[in-house]
Amino acid sequence: MIEYDTEEQRMVLKFVYYGPALSGKTTNLLRLHDLLAKEGRGDLMVLDTKDDRTIFFDLLPFFLVAPSGLKIKVKVYTVPGQVQHDATRKAVLQRADGIAFIADSRRSEAKNNAESFGNLERNLSIVGIGIDKLPLVIQYNKRDLPDILPEEEIRRAWGPTGFPVLLSSALEGWGVLETFRTLAERAYDALDRRHDFAGTHGLTRDSFAGRLVRRAG
Amino acid sequence: MPTDSEGRRRIVYCVGEERALCDVLSESEAAALLGAASRAGLRGVRVVDPGGKTLWGSGNDVPPPGEGDPRRPILLEGEPAGSVVLPAGAARGETEDALLALLADTLTAMAHTNLKRMLTTETHTEVVNRSYEELLETNRSLSASEQRYRELAGTLEIKVRERTEELSRAMARLVQQEKMASVGQLAAGVAHEINNPLAFVTSNLQTLKKYTDRFLDIIARYQRVFEQGGVAQQDRDDLRKHRESLRLDAISADAGDLLRQTLEGTERVRKIVADLKGFSHVDEEGDAPADLCREIDRTLSVMTHEIPAGTEIVREFSPLPVIPCRPGAFNQLFLCLLRNAFQARQEGLRVTIRTGVSGDRIRIAIADNGPGVPADLRCRIFEPFFTTRDVGKGKGLGLTVAYDIVTAHEGTIDVEDAPGGGATFVLQLPIRRGSHDQIR
Repeated sequence: MIEYDTEEQRMVLKFVYYGPALSGKTTNLLRLHDLLAKEGRGDLMVLDTKDDRTIFFDLLPFFLVAPSGLKIKVKVYTVPGQVQHDATRKAVLQRADGIAFIADSRRSEAKNNAESFGNLERNLSIVGIGIDKLPLVIQYNKRDLPDILPEEEIRRAWGPTGFPVLLSSALEGWGVLETFRTLAERAYDALDRRHDFAGTHGLTRDSFAGRLVRRAG
Repeated sequence: MPTDSEGRRRIVYCVGEERALCDVLSESEAAALLGAASRAGLRGVRVVDPGGKTLWGSGNDVPPPGEGDPRRPILLEGEPAGSVVLPAGAARGETEDALLALLADTLTAMAHTNLKRMLTTETHTEVVNRSYEELLETNRSLSASEQRYRELAGTLEIKVRERTEELSRAMARLVQQEKMASVGQLAAGVAHEINNPLAFVTSNLQTLKKYTDRFLDIIARYQRVFEQGGVAQQDRDDLRKHRESLRLDAISADAGDLLRQTLEGTERVRKIVADLKGFSHVDEEGDAPADLCREIDRTLSVMTHEIPAGTEIVREFSPLPVIPCRPGAFNQLFLCLLRNAFQARQEGLRVTIRTGVSGDRIRIAIADNGPGVPADLRCRIFEPFFTTRDVGKGKGLGLTVAYDIVTAHEGTIDVEDAPGGGATFVLQLPIRRGSHDQIR
């Protein structure tokens, strides 16, 4: 999954923002781009959109160097949510190291959320990733809108899965950094188990997440 | 190339592979910018990778970059992917620094734009490839399943033929069993019929034996008297008394009746046996000329015991031409149809048998006044195993046997409504047969 070149001391991680069409995946990345310091990240690359909808994907790259000299690039992608772009979703999902599932909080979207999550499970198994092994966080977005699922209901539904659930309004700009930070921390835990980030590379969980989620001045 | 669990080759798609600066910027793009910068005052400016190796530079003999060189980073996805650098000892000033910064930013922007274009193309190509690969896979599996169905279709014919033969054999066995059962039922009836006369013949013979003993007794006395030489009055009285005590006058009168009855009984048995023999045509092999009216009578005569009490049998016979056929088979056929008719109702049964000739065909109709055969079942009653009787009461093969006998004779059998209710079974048989010389 992970791209790790020990000779070059380079590691490339891939986070994917998944979810149904128009749930706010691109808005999440736009907010991250606005809220985070320019240092240590690249520009947001928005690839081929049509009528404000992502056809290919968006990419927000981050770059950091661990105390050991290990260069870590974190690429955050979105996938197109529309059903017909499944091939693109599979291509983007390939070798993912962490996933943020962005759900639409409105009651009317419950079915689309479920279908998209089903699609995620199916595509993960197709690209050979076990969903239980993968750092995954759930974000219920659009909390600013009326007629949304109440929080208790969401927690009751997702509680048994053990996935962390965060609430947000990407439009208003809250909950976005928390989601990203939670994803970064979950990914760190998985990577630390395999590559001993803390021991070998002197990179703690806080410093890893902190370097990624660095608020703009 | 990775393979899937069945060993087929599988393409792994992954967009956004890591790229170095020289993958993203082309020689011509970089050279043009560096040339312009050089002319603007940055003599000897060049681009180096993060390891310090020169990627692109203007002029041929510029010294390698040293630590003191002024550098400006070129960023790719936020990561320093290279730098623009002036040769050591080059003129430095505010203008040069600004130009250098401008050059680095321009190259960064150019790399960003190029990378975006590459990612777009790459995604598009991979999505197209993936779709193509999936189509190929779909095509492969469809071809495989088509092949399977083709093979299946090939073997299916053979399998169906085998099964059909198996079923035909089983069917033939069952039909044979049905014939045997039918004959068995007949035999039971005939046995009963023979038993009756046999019983009174036996009883009569026992009585006659007692009578014979008395006659022998009186004859012995007469003999004794005559041997002693005289017929005295005393002897005559004794003999008369003894004759009276033996009631010889009465038994003399009775003996004649007994003998006549007994002979009638044996005659009945003889006739039954003759009927049975006539019915079965055991002595004949293959076709024999037959008068079907007579055969129907023969069949009726062996079925006496199966005819419910009070049944009215109406024979509306017109003379039929004698036709070559297997009379034994036809009697089996009549037996089946008549037996069905006799089972049509318990009381007040009337069975009408009508024979006649219509054109070149013999027509035989057997009608009953039972419940009849519902129209929707008519096309099915000749099918093997079709029966309306309860489970265990009939195998549903009787009419199948009948149908086989008729069709073997190139005839037809149908069921119609009888006038006034009930069923009529109609046989039509050609007087002269064409294609078949023999009946099965």
